[in-house]
Amino acid sequence: MGGFPVLIEQVITFVIVLLVTVVVVTVGFVAAAILRRKRRDAFFEQLDDLRQQVAPLVTGVLGRTLDYRQGVAQIKKLGEKHKPALIEQLVMEKLPPADQMPAMTQLCEDLGLVKQWQTRLGGDGQVRGMSGTLQRLFRVGYLARARSAEHLATIRHRASWPMLVKALDDPHPDVREVALRGLGSLVEPQSFAALVQRLHQVILDPDESGLAFRTVKSAVVSFPLSQAIGLEASLRHPHRRIRFLCTDVVREMVEKAAEGHPDFYLDASNFAPSLSELFLNTQTYDENPDVRARSAPVIAYMRDPRAVPVLLGLLEDPEWFVRLHTVRALAKPRFEGQLLQIAARLADPRWMVREAAVRTLLGFGDAGFSVLYDYFLGSEDRYSREQIADEWQRAGVIPTLLGHYAQQPHGRERQVLEQLAHMGKTSYLVGLLLGSSDVALRKNFLQDFGRHADRQIQSWVAWLATHETDPDVKALAQARKGEAGMGTRSR
Amino acid sequence: MDIIEAWRQGFIHMMNIFNIIIVAYFFLANGGYTVLMGFSLGSLLVYNRRLAYQGLEELRDSVVTPPVTIIMPAFNEENSIVDSLRSVMQTDYPYLEIVVVDDGSSDETLNNLIAAFGLIKMDLIYRPRLETEPIRGFYVNPDFPNLLVISKENGGKFDALNVGINGCRTPYFCTLDADCILERDALLRLMRPIKRDPLNIVASGGIVRILNGCKVKEGQVVAVELPESKIEKFQVVEYLRSFLFGRTGWDLLRGTLIVSGAFAVFHRETVIEAGGFNEQTVSEDMELIVRLHRWAQENSRRIKMQFISDPVCWTEAPADRKMLARQRRRWQLGLCQTLWKNSDMLFSRKFGRVGWLAYPFNLYVEALGAPVEFIGYLMIPLALLLGVVPPYLFLLFVVLSLAYGTFLSVGSVLMEELTYRRYPRYRDLLVLLGYAFIENIGYRQLVVWYRVQGVWRFITGFREWEAVAHKGAGD
Repeated sequence: MGGFPVLIEQVITFVIVLLVTVVVVTVGFVAAAILRRKRRDAFFEQLDDLRQQVAPLVTGVLGRTLDYRQGVAQIKKLGEKHKPALIEQLVMEKLPPADQMPAMTQLCEDLGLVKQWQTRLGGDGQVRGMSGTLQRLFRVGYLARARSAEHLATIRHRASWPMLVKALDDPHPDVREVALRGLGSLVEPQSFAALVQRLHQVILDPDESGLAFRTVKSAVVSFPLSQAIGLEASLRHPHRRIRFLCTDVVREMVEKAAEGHPDFYLDASNFAPSLSELFLNTQTYDENPDVRARSAPVIAYMRDPRAVPVLLGLLEDPEWFVRLHTVRALAKPRFEGQLLQIAARLADPRWMVREAAVRTLLGFGDAGFSVLYDYFLGSEDRYSREQIADEWQRAGVIPTLLGHYAQQPHGRERQVLEQLAHMGKTSYLVGLLLGSSDVALRKNFLQDFGRHADRQIQSWVAWLATHETDPDVKALAQARKGEAGMGTRSR
Repeated sequence: MDIIEAWRQGFIHMMNIFNIIIVAYFFLANGGYTVLMGFSLGSLLVYNRRLAYQGLEELRDSVVTPPVTIIMPAFNEENSIVDSLRSVMQTDYPYLEIVVVDDGSSDETLNNLIAAFGLIKMDLIYRPRLETEPIRGFYVNPDFPNLLVISKENGGKFDALNVGINGCRTPYFCTLDADCILERDALLRLMRPIKRDPLNIVASGGIVRILNGCKVKEGQVVAVELPESKIEKFQVVEYLRSFLFGRTGWDLLRGTLIVSGAFAVFHRETVIEAGGFNEQTVSEDMELIVRLHRWAQENSRRIKMQFISDPVCWTEAPADRKMLARQRRRWQLGLCQTLWKNSDMLFSRKFGRVGWLAYPFNLYVEALGAPVEFIGYLMIPLALLLGVVPPYLFLLFVVLSLAYGTFLSVGSVLMEELTYRRYPRYRDLLVLLGYAFIENIGYRQLVVWYRVQGVWRFITGFREWEAVAHKGAGD
């Protein structure tokens, strides 16, 4: 290359060296890929063979269809012939049902796996072989520690909780995270305080802990509600964010306890009285609106007679999201007496509160419907009516409405339909009418709304005028066609 | 005679300069790729081990797992939309909503959806936080309360995505192309780092793999196989290279500039604050990622964008040259548009690694690389003819160039083999290795030509979004 500031011979030498290197490495890559595939295939073959021997033993031992000692001895014997990691993998690959978990824990102890995991988690044990050498070389020893913590948690080895608490200070965040998860699954009461301490740490200094708040919260809320008393000091903490997030943790614990139990109440049997007092007297009036917002769902479960007045107060909170959480919290049959106060939130300036109010009222069944009908017909607030119409459609209420109208064409449902037509919310209605086989319904609707100017209703009338099979309805449709806008009684 | 000689000398001088540029590009690009490959290999091997304790079960059961909305923009996807949606509805995620946005399709996309899912048109409230084209209608079936189909006037993919964001109520949303099939646990895997990372992860992208050739049953890939045609097989190797070591490497260097919009999760409020997807480029996904970097810098926000390699989304790759050309031209055009729009990032200290590493690499290697390589294909033989380059050096350089390309492609196949091994048949591995070898003769040049066309379209101000037709990947 003329003008190039190096000798051509040097360039050629460099290119040749590079070329040879590249070719050698490429060939090496090909060989490595093929070799790897062959080794993995052989490994899986071996694993499958061993699985056929180990799996029945494990199932038999756990299901007590096989003598425990004999089963353990046979598994150990297989472990002597093969790599211990294979036995570990096979024992852990399929978890037994919850009732067999104690037997599983015992099996892992007797096979020496628990001791091995504890040793590794403590950082004392070393993984043998090539894998261990590579782990030490590339400083990835945390992989073994994290995996050991995971195994101890998976088999619910309760006695290992102090090790998991200690692992919360591990230099690697992976180990800390797995330890947290493990503590969340062991739910050992004595470890709760350590978790609360971590909770404070991630709130105050997330960078220092290297853990996400969600991870810690997830572990804390796994604990039974009886442990919530351990958060009392946090709920009174001067730091507003700690108060907020710990209130939210209690809320999660309460909602988890209430899940699947429609008659769930908080009382002295499941919730410390001091906590109840704290929520009713302090959290509700906290200067941090997030605390007030997260208190509402907790208070909504209290049997205490002061709960309802407190909640009604929160319904009027100046912060919209406090009102939002409160309206949502009131979506329980026990608050049927507060329907009117909930309905008042239909006029809330924030649409999310209005939406929550409609949803809450819909949850009360006929009583809620009635309140919504009244509001829908009586209110001049366009936004509230829009919101109600929106939720009625989403919740599939329109077919019920139309069904009631078919039975009582002169009832309140007719006014509601008229209002919907006036608002142009007719797509769903017309869609249902098009698919309906009820001749009387079509006739009634045609008589009442056939002249309505709404475009979709007029399309439906035009369709009926051509396709309707009932001669009376067809004749009526033909008469109504073209009379759009005449004689509608819109609001 | 003197004038001719002077012209000849001038031409040779110019050729020399070009040759130096080409050689510099060669070493810069391949050196960069080699470094990325090295980083990625280590990172993937460790990550693969970390998957052993990932805790997906805990994530599935946890009350703190954030709700997600999958947004599927669809334009003339009548062949694939129903299967794709069925696949998405099987997604294993505890709090999931799905918004399908029909971007004014002229085919049966909307009608197929209505028929398949018993949807009913409803007049719902639309509260746009991002400006979009008008809405034609909302379609809901109360029996599928987590599914919402929105029909709108045609406005392009970015606009459809913005409509989806407007219709989304969850803190995170996941963009998913309508021709894609999501593995059941892909979203759970994609959300895992978002739950566990103390930093605010605002964008997280998963791996996109090629669906062509795979067996699909009931909306799920049940057997992973290589496609039949050569052009599709080449793309399998290409995708492995792009995702396994390109994206992984940049993620490790904290220089993620591209998260494939075909399958990515975003933090809704952050995206809205940054202005949503926009029409200024034809690669709305890359443009958004770059804009998020800028937004974070300008607003002093500590955010993270990342790529993870285990959540899998299967996509239909172009099966013929015409469609491949359209796709690659669009990608290249979008890349150029995005880089041009954000040219102040180049070597900007305030953008850190993005300004000093990711942006220059994308500019010099990915964007300008195509025309440089193309000119190289013309110039080097010309230089040989004119006697500027000795024939043996020319040959050596050609062989080196091919060998290096092969080395990178084989490297990506090896990485796949060391980590995920998604092609279980031994024969498939050999075929992949074979295609990694021959990819650099013919296919690579073809793609370079399409990319050059993309660059040319950028220079000439072409802005059209070239659509790629999909055949659908039903059972």
